[in-house]
Amino acid sequence: MNLAFVDYFILALYFLFVIGIGWRLRGQSSTSSDFLTSGHSMPVWITSLAFLAANLGAQEVIGMCASGAKYGIMTSHFYWIGAIPAMLFIGVFMMPFYYGSRARSVPEYLRLRFDEKTRGLNAITFAVMTIFSSGISMYALGILLQTVLNWSFTASVLLSAGIVLLYTYLGGLRSAIYNEVLQFFLIVIGFSPLAIMSLYKAGGWSGIQQRLPQVMTHSWQGLSDSSLNPMGVEIFGLIAGLGFVLSFGYWCTDFLVVQRAMAADSMGAARRTPIMAAFPKMIMPFIVILPGLAAVALAQAGSGYVLPVKGNGYDYDKVLTTLMAQFYPSGMLGVGLTALMASFMSGMAGNVTAFNTVFTYDIYQGYIRKSAPDSHYLTVARITTLVGTILSVLTAYLAQRYNNIMDLLQLVFGFVNAPLFATFLLGMFWKRTTANGAFYGLLSGTGAAALVHGLTVAEGKGGWIETVHTFPSTMAQNFWIAIFAWSTCFLMTILVSFVTKPRLESELHGLVYGLTKIPHDASVVWYKRPIPLAGIVVGVLILLNVWFR
Amino acid sequence: MLDLRLPAGLFFLAVGLILTVSGLVNPSNIAPLTPVNVNLYAGVVMLVFGTVLLVLARRSKA
Repeated sequence: MNLAFVDYFILALYFLFVIGIGWRLRGQSSTSSDFLTSGHSMPVWITSLAFLAANLGAQEVIGMCASGAKYGIMTSHFYWIGAIPAMLFIGVFMMPFYYGSRARSVPEYLRLRFDEKTRGLNAITFAVMTIFSSGISMYALGILLQTVLNWSFTASVLLSAGIVLLYTYLGGLRSAIYNEVLQFFLIVIGFSPLAIMSLYKAGGWSGIQQRLPQVMTHSWQGLSDSSLNPMGVEIFGLIAGLGFVLSFGYWCTDFLVVQRAMAADSMGAARRTPIMAAFPKMIMPFIVILPGLAAVALAQAGSGYVLPVKGNGYDYDKVLTTLMAQFYPSGMLGVGLTALMASFMSGMAGNVTAFNTVFTYDIYQGYIRKSAPDSHYLTVARITTLVGTILSVLTAYLAQRYNNIMDLLQLVFGFVNAPLFATFLLGMFWKRTTANGAFYGLLSGTGAAALVHGLTVAEGKGGWIETVHTFPSTMAQNFWIAIFAWSTCFLMTILVSFVTKPRLESELHGLVYGLTKIPHDASVVWYKRPIPLAGIVVGVLILLNVWFR
Repeated sequence: MLDLRLPAGLFFLAVGLILTVSGLVNPSNIAPLTPVNVNLYAGVVMLVFGTVLLVLARRSKA
């Protein structure tokens, strides 16, 4: 891919604007709460787009296009049965407790609801995981720019990290959120022409259907048995593992996204944030997955487009960039590349701002220095922003050198994350749940995840204890690990809760269902109420699934 | 506080202008797989989007 002057100019213009936004917001953080939580001041249209963009990293965009080419329209399950129901659930059912508890972070909610050790476990694993995922996506970006544009790995890593650092350091969470909205617009405008043109060139949806095997153009076909579909999963594993455990675990408990909703200016706005975000989220598959399918059809049609190869197989991760080079002339190519950079930056800024909040409030204030004037914590938050970015850069280099360590770490974090949603579900909706129940439930869930991984094999992975079962794909293995981890945590939390002493009800106001006033919104106009909005989303969701069945 | 629609509107206006002008000046600058003057169309869309954001920002200020 060759860039012209105009492409570099557009990229530079974008850098100028994101830094400019940070600069304009620089003076507005006089307290740690301004800097780390934006002082609960954001209107809902901003928080909902930021909610979406913080999750829409470069890996997501590239990966979804790659999955589209590899698995077909089944990839839409990550959106239509994965993300969306979980987003509706947190908006309708969970946000009253997060926002109502006045907790400043998800780990802090766990301290209020349970105890110090449960908070500590969650805060520390979250902080470490956030740095690693930010470093890994930085590594992925560096490698991509190296192979596609011949840019130096060091230059692209340092430049992109430096810009994110600059604007988050200047304006804190507010600046990160503002830029995430700009980045979201750019991602949509930068990638949708590609979707439209590649689809048109491939002869529309019917053209794709003619050229691709049936299972790739039907999202619900071949799910009765894992051998019948390209993902190697079956319907129960897909719905329970992906649709329930993994998606709810991510969207409902991951502070990276929850933080955006908690920045909203009112309880109503906080509840509507994930629900409003669900509308554009439903459309995203058309922008990020469809080009992948179109690419395969174009390659088969002999249009001149060739799928990128690596070794004996296809290099699906390069589908997006090779398509861009074929459909975008210089000028628009610059916009497409800028959109890719924007998606990377929105993801990284999300990681950095979530990390500095959890570190400052839950680790530093929790364990290192409990009571200090607020200005002290503001300083700590700023330093943490800097340190967090440096650690991410170091992780990117670590990933470059020791890829296996990164795989192992991601695996371990997966074990820690899988059971989390069971803890929150019980904690929020069953007041009898005790702190020890939650803590040992989490530990046993993580243990169960490791055990399942040790006893099963998929694509040569796992089975380090003994092989009692073989999965057709690592995706199926992941789904089933999640199902076992969640169930173990769920049962264990209930068992331990019954034998340990519950907390007084008077201590649980605002934290648990039944002891929290759910805001009465009957007087509010319908399109500002979470439930009618969620109802519309469900309706569209059913139509989409029926259409692509 | 800064109205986000202002910088976002300006950004898309600027990029839209660059693309529209380059699409008009150099219509033969096309990509291998499509005969469409992508810069011109995308540029016009961005100009419209940028203008809408700026108008909204102005109206809420008034």
